[in-house]
Amino acid sequence: MSALRTYIRSYMVRIIIIIGILSGLISFYFVSPEAVAVATELQTWNSAAAAWTLFVGIITVFARYVRSIMKRTQYWQYRAYGIVLMVVWVIMGAIVGLYSDLYQTAFYSTKITLHIAILGQLVFFFTSGVYRTFRMKTFRTAIYAFFAMLLIIGNAPWMLATFPQVDKLTYWLLENPSMSGERTLALTGGIGGAVLGIRILLGLEKGALRATEAS
Amino acid sequence: MIKVPELKSQYIWAVLLVVYLFTAIQPIGAPFQMSDATIKAHDVIESLPPKSIVAMGGSGVFAFDLESSAAQIAAIIQMARKGLRLVAVPLGTEAVQFEKYCIDAALVDKKFGGPWTYGVDYVVLPYLAGGSAALVSFLTSVRSQVSTDVKGTPIDQLPIMNDFRSYKDIALWTCPHRDFPIIARYVTGERGIPSIAFAQAAAYSLYAVYMMIYPDKIWMTNGFLGGAQYEDLEGISGLGHAAIDSYAIISAVVIAFIVLGNIRLLSTLGDEKEEVKEEKV
Repeated sequence: MSALRTYIRSYMVRIIIIIGILSGLISFYFVSPEAVAVATELQTWNSAAAAWTLFVGIITVFARYVRSIMKRTQYWQYRAYGIVLMVVWVIMGAIVGLYSDLYQTAFYSTKITLHIAILGQLVFFFTSGVYRTFRMKTFRTAIYAFFAMLLIIGNAPWMLATFPQVDKLTYWLLENPSMSGERTLALTGGIGGAVLGIRILLGLEKGALRATEAS
Repeated sequence: MIKVPELKSQYIWAVLLVVYLFTAIQPIGAPFQMSDATIKAHDVIESLPPKSIVAMGGSGVFAFDLESSAAQIAAIIQMARKGLRLVAVPLGTEAVQFEKYCIDAALVDKKFGGPWTYGVDYVVLPYLAGGSAALVSFLTSVRSQVSTDVKGTPIDQLPIMNDFRSYKDIALWTCPHRDFPIIARYVTGERGIPSIAFAQAAAYSLYAVYMMIYPDKIWMTNGFLGGAQYEDLEGISGLGHAAIDSYAIISAVVIAFIVLGNIRLLSTLGDEKEEVKEEKV
């Protein structure tokens, strides 16, 4: 029974991946009305599945948190608080609507304000970090610190207001060396994702739903 | 050589806190320079004929996207002034709240004394789950993805939606969210709709490549500075201007701390050599 379940899981995941790939490729490579209709249908399935995964997320979090609360594991009080919050937000959203001013004010005053406060702290850590790490002990750190300072100064409003010509240099730096570095990271991540997908399809990677086991 | 003491993190944080409090209490109106990139983005919206439909959408996290909102809010004010129409297309779970925030902050609705009426001049659609696949399906046929607006009103009862059935009805797409690549690929790349990304400063260089690929189809603004520039072009003073004061002073403070860190390094160089000698002995 267990072997049969693993067998079904393993093929189910592969079929889902292939259908997902088809939904993206059909509309790109075929232009017939039939192909477009199939692609649109698959994309609608995708949207429905994506909406469902949000619900699955809530169920999973609930299951984990309830288990933790029952067993009184570490930080169970925070998890209890989290469950109460989730229920309250869902009820409020269902009653007053996501677009109501009340929901908006509540959302903005709690989650968003706290998130912005957390992001705001990054400047404190960043400044404290650059004070310690941008010390030009070696040629490499000197180059790193120099170009970081160049971008900070080049973007600073007081510099651009005093020397408007710097704007050209700043945008050149952003659109060339800085862009190529960031694109390299993005491309590397993309290639890694594609390789991971192929490994899952070939059964070489432990994938979603424990469908395939690591070899 | 005089020894410069090592600063504790708390002292650095205290300096930054003073800077933030000072600029919050006493705005200094730090000057800034206009940039060509922002002027081009502004000109694109300025060139659209009245009644054109502009889509605003994408996916991102509200707190991050707040930086983009400075330019987006100014752009919405510009759209209302020009008599354009706006359809908000949230592709992220927080995008509904963020796009409502942008529209409300622009004060363009009649309830705030503005020229726009909900359902006629602008509409907010519900969150579309499914990422790029949902976007592609939406562009092909709006009605295949949405049957109501975010309030639950059937879209057939909304006058603006009678003129908006597929991507062919969109004159311009504006993206105030972090996830601009899906807009660049599927909206502009595959369907040729021009788009503007009100990018965060940290995302600008990552996405600048799209401006190079589609030089006459994609435009971008750069973070809070771009927002302040856009506000300047619209003759308003909003979030962008408010952020520029602290932005200007903090950029000087960061440089000052880098210099201070290196002075500290120089002042301890002799000590390090002596320590190495002692270790060898």
